[in-house]
Amino acid sequence: MEGFEPKLVAFLCNWCSYSGADSAGKAQKEFPANIRAVRVMCSGRVDPQFVLEAFKNKADGVLILGCHPGDCHYKEGNYKALRRYTLLKEVLKPFGIEDERLLLDWVSASEGNRFVEVVWQMVNNVKRLGPLPLRSG
Amino acid sequence: MAEQIGVYICECGPNIKDAMNIDDVADFAQQLDGVIFARIFRLLCSQEGKELIAKDVHEQGLTRVVIAACSPKEHEHTFRKVISDAGLNPYMLQIVNIREQCSWVIKDKGRATDLAKSMIKAAVYRVAHHAALETKEIEAQPDVLVVGAGITGMSAALTLAQKQRKVYLVERSPCLGGKVVRYEEVFPNLECAPCMLEPALDEVLHHERIEVLTLSEINEVLGFYGNFIVKVTKKSRLVDMQACIGCRACIEPCPVEVSDEYNESLAKRKAIYFPFAGALPNAPAIDKEHCLRFKSQECDLCQKACQFAAINYEETDQVRELNVGAIVVATGFDLFDVKNASQFGYGKIENVYTSLEFERLLSSTGHTGGEILKKDGQVPEKVALIHCVGSRSKKFHEHCSGVCCSYLVKFAHLLKQKFPEVSIVDIYSDFCLPGKQTQKSFNDFSKEQGVEFVRVNDTNDLVISEVDGKISVKYPVSGAQDDKSLEKITAGLRDLSVDMVVRLNDTNDLAINEVDGKISFKYAGSGAQDDKSLEKGTAGLRDLSVDMVVLAPAIVGAVDAQVLAQMLDLTTDENGFFNEEHSKLSPVSTTTEGIFIVGCAQGPQDIAGSVAQGQAAAGKILSRLVPGEKLTLDPCTAEVDEDLCSGCKTCIGVCIYNAVCYDEEKKRAAVNEALCRGCGVCVATCPSAAITGKHFTDEQILQEVKGVLED
Amino acid sequence: MGKPKVGLYWAAGCGGCEEVVVDLAEDLLTVTGAVDIVFWPVAMDFKYQDVEALKDAELAVVLINGAVRLSEQEHIVKLLRRKSKLVIANGSCACLGGVVGLANFSKGIELINRAYKEVPTVANPLGLTPQSVTREGDKELELPDFYNTVKSLNMVIDVDYYIPGCPSTPELIKDAFMAILENKLPPKGAVLADTRALCDTCSRRDTKPEKISIREFKRVYEIEIDPARCFLDQAIICLGLVTRGGCQERCIKANMPCRGCFGALDNVNDQGAKFLSALASMMDSNDEQELKRIVDSIPDPAGLFYRYSLATSLLRGKIDEAK
Repeated sequence: MEGFEPKLVAFLCNWCSYSGADSAGKAQKEFPANIRAVRVMCSGRVDPQFVLEAFKNKADGVLILGCHPGDCHYKEGNYKALRRYTLLKEVLKPFGIEDERLLLDWVSASEGNRFVEVVWQMVNNVKRLGPLPLRSG
Repeated sequence: MAEQIGVYICECGPNIKDAMNIDDVADFAQQLDGVIFARIFRLLCSQEGKELIAKDVHEQGLTRVVIAACSPKEHEHTFRKVISDAGLNPYMLQIVNIREQCSWVIKDKGRATDLAKSMIKAAVYRVAHHAALETKEIEAQPDVLVVGAGITGMSAALTLAQKQRKVYLVERSPCLGGKVVRYEEVFPNLECAPCMLEPALDEVLHHERIEVLTLSEINEVLGFYGNFIVKVTKKSRLVDMQACIGCRACIEPCPVEVSDEYNESLAKRKAIYFPFAGALPNAPAIDKEHCLRFKSQECDLCQKACQFAAINYEETDQVRELNVGAIVVATGFDLFDVKNASQFGYGKIENVYTSLEFERLLSSTGHTGGEILKKDGQVPEKVALIHCVGSRSKKFHEHCSGVCCSYLVKFAHLLKQKFPEVSIVDIYSDFCLPGKQTQKSFNDFSKEQGVEFVRVNDTNDLVISEVDGKISVKYPVSGAQDDKSLEKITAGLRDLSVDMVVRLNDTNDLAINEVDGKISFKYAGSGAQDDKSLEKGTAGLRDLSVDMVVLAPAIVGAVDAQVLAQMLDLTTDENGFFNEEHSKLSPVSTTTEGIFIVGCAQGPQDIAGSVAQGQAAAGKILSRLVPGEKLTLDPCTAEVDEDLCSGCKTCIGVCIYNAVCYDEEKKRAAVNEALCRGCGVCVATCPSAAITGKHFTDEQILQEVKGVLED
Repeated sequence: MGKPKVGLYWAAGCGGCEEVVVDLAEDLLTVTGAVDIVFWPVAMDFKYQDVEALKDAELAVVLINGAVRLSEQEHIVKLLRRKSKLVIANGSCACLGGVVGLANFSKGIELINRAYKEVPTVANPLGLTPQSVTREGDKELELPDFYNTVKSLNMVIDVDYYIPGCPSTPELIKDAFMAILENKLPPKGAVLADTRALCDTCSRRDTKPEKISIREFKRVYEIEIDPARCFLDQAIICLGLVTRGGCQERCIKANMPCRGCFGALDNVNDQGAKFLSALASMMDSNDEQELKRIVDSIPDPAGLFYRYSLATSLLRGKIDEAK
């Protein structure tokens, strides 16, 4: 959609993806201004309510980025995030929220490039979808 | 009282200043609710910067601080200390990452400005909901329990036994030294193992801060990091160790003979026994399972023989309760039970030995006094050494034990030393000689023997044939790129005469039988791409006739470790090794804070690796459990509100640190702050929202979300 | 001074909440003896003019059940708000939007079309649908507007107390009346039921293990449900752990799992989302494909988790179409 700049909330885990974003920063890789990072200690901290609150507050997309499976600083926190996310995706279908508006992915502390790739892709996907039209009336 | 939030925006030299309209950002921040000022400063982490913040805390009565600068991973702890020293709780701070995640990555100045404003707003909203968290301290025991008195346990104990700290060294068997003390020589330098251990054994036994508990086992472990309560049963030895001088007069008269487990059941021992010659502590033990007195029979022959009144039949088992701050698990390994792989004929054919059995044959404290003899007492003429028994095979254990190739080289060398005429067949599918010295020692031995082991790029290029009654091996020199083209290779073909080098796809595909008093085994040679197809290539079933076989079985976690794992809330993998917290970053820690796993209990490794781990765990303990100091706990932990908790127990199952427990009486969940790591998984899981994740509460995170999304 | 005046109104409801009042049985006499019911459309003959004629705050309390989805309902609840000192949202529909709120998974117009045209058993050859204004000769007939989105009561008027449940229980109704009569009400905004989730009073709690492992969810007809064991431990979805208690576990006692009608606890903003978080922790796999398979064994997760609370959930319902 032309001229539309989506707002995306990215929940980044302290040990991996937040550091991954910092890595991208240190390498001065350009990333989209649409991403608003919110730091949590673990992707397993992300309550599905946060995702919905983000949408409710007019986020057009939500990312949850955690450590790669097997690498979670808290061993299994990211697997808990994966379980919730799988069920949440299914629950969101009748709400009409397009699949591309919510993403759970894995970015390690050293993957600055990957972080940038993932967020650009997400921003582009959501741009195509347009703003999230919350229910009116 | 109204909030007095101070906002600081760091220019970070030109880094932030040039990337956005920083005055605009400051103006914006200034007018946010609760903000009393928004200051721009050149470099906040400088001495002047820190002094400015401290001054403002005092003079401006700041209640909360927002610092927009570099990543919190750089300086959050710095600024927490600054405000803490100035008298403000260190958690009343929120860092905004406008450098790594804004200035450095948003090229458009206008958009960077907007993003910075948005991030600062979110931080102001969040910090307004921060609580003043206090670092808690708990009493902690500096003493440590080490389970297992092998080389690893002893290393850990010796490193740990410092002033004001006691180490309890609990050992299941009657003696110290584990497996290593029962070897003769160890690779790569072939130093004498018992001699190498002698100083450590001596120090451990006489150390005033190490209490050795032999014949002891752990029954129960309660408590948590800093405060473990461990019940240990010290089984009665029935020998007074103070009185006994180790003269061995009691051994001879004993009428009972049983299989000797310390000589890998190759020999017999009495019911009163020394595990092996030179075992320390230097006193025998009575095996209550086989001693006649415990089978309701009269016998006091050993007591009668003792001139020092050291035998005490009345001694009972003792239960000790140890209060320790940390536990080091050094329970070592067992070998894969080769009886589960019948193709090797182990247990059925005589003179087929495991490596541990062979070590006892080699050892001067063994039942043959170091003579390598067949069961019939004869010297072997042809010995086969087989790698990877039960190892590196999907049929048994997939892992490589990392030390067997090395010790088989050692065996080959020692055999040749004792019997220069002996013929050695080394059957392997790969050679693994890691580390600084092993490969080199291997090369040296080979030179001595006149045996040249040759590394080939692709063993499928070997052409093994019989020439003049000896086996000739043709191999291409390194550099041959195309392994399919043998014509190219003939140019560089070398002929080599060795006794025999046989490469197999899987050494577990052997079949060993006894034929006419000799050991015969069949194997499928490599060269055949498909093990099952014997028509291809020059491979086929070969028959080989030897006198003695030494097997290198897979190293697995000690079989009894499972019981201990249960008690300590540890998990083991499919090979019996305890699971570490993180394979690279925390190899000796476990998810149970305060419990460490070291040596072969953690994974198969050589002596150097084991000792390093023992000392590493000691290091970790020494740095946090400091005698006289309390254990400080990170305050960003979870907390259950009992008024909201319904006792649904959903949180209990999600905590891998066992930090959330269910109180059966109150029917409520509770978090142990000493064990909680603050991950927040239970917080997100609680269906009643009854658990607060301190410093990452729902409200704080939602305020941040709200702040970044507002226009 | 006379007995306190009381009103009961039903908006978009099913009548179940009225039944509960009747279920007070003998206690009903105590209640009706102590108060003056001046307005109860389902049970007595009154007209809206009667309500309009009341003075402001003349009613001591009005119990309103049902959600708000018609302009008429909005009008009347606003009127009742003026005329009453206290407004109690009675039942899941008034408190949370209730089952009626599940309509929010569709657009208003889709529901009208479905009900009046698409349902196979409807005979509507002219394709008539309710219109706000219809002219018949020189007369104008009005029907209330049908809102696109179902609302809970507190989205339309200021609510003082909540009695949850689908329906609630006679005990809770009686307790509410007695509290009003004895002037022993908690702070405004309180939900007049338990403050903890149902597990706290559930007779099966002790059988619930600390770690539940589910590889496939079962539906209530698929297995013989053990009446003494926690439902979740039998892979049956039970919303008890995310649902406020106070219902005296009547469904549990009937060997049926909790459906969540009492709504979420105070600190939870979205019952469905919180429930899915707790339930997900019981799905025993760390593999993406396997997890999908386990999730697929729940036929309608959104409908089940938001059965009563969709209208008051964070998203309220299906989002609009992209413009």
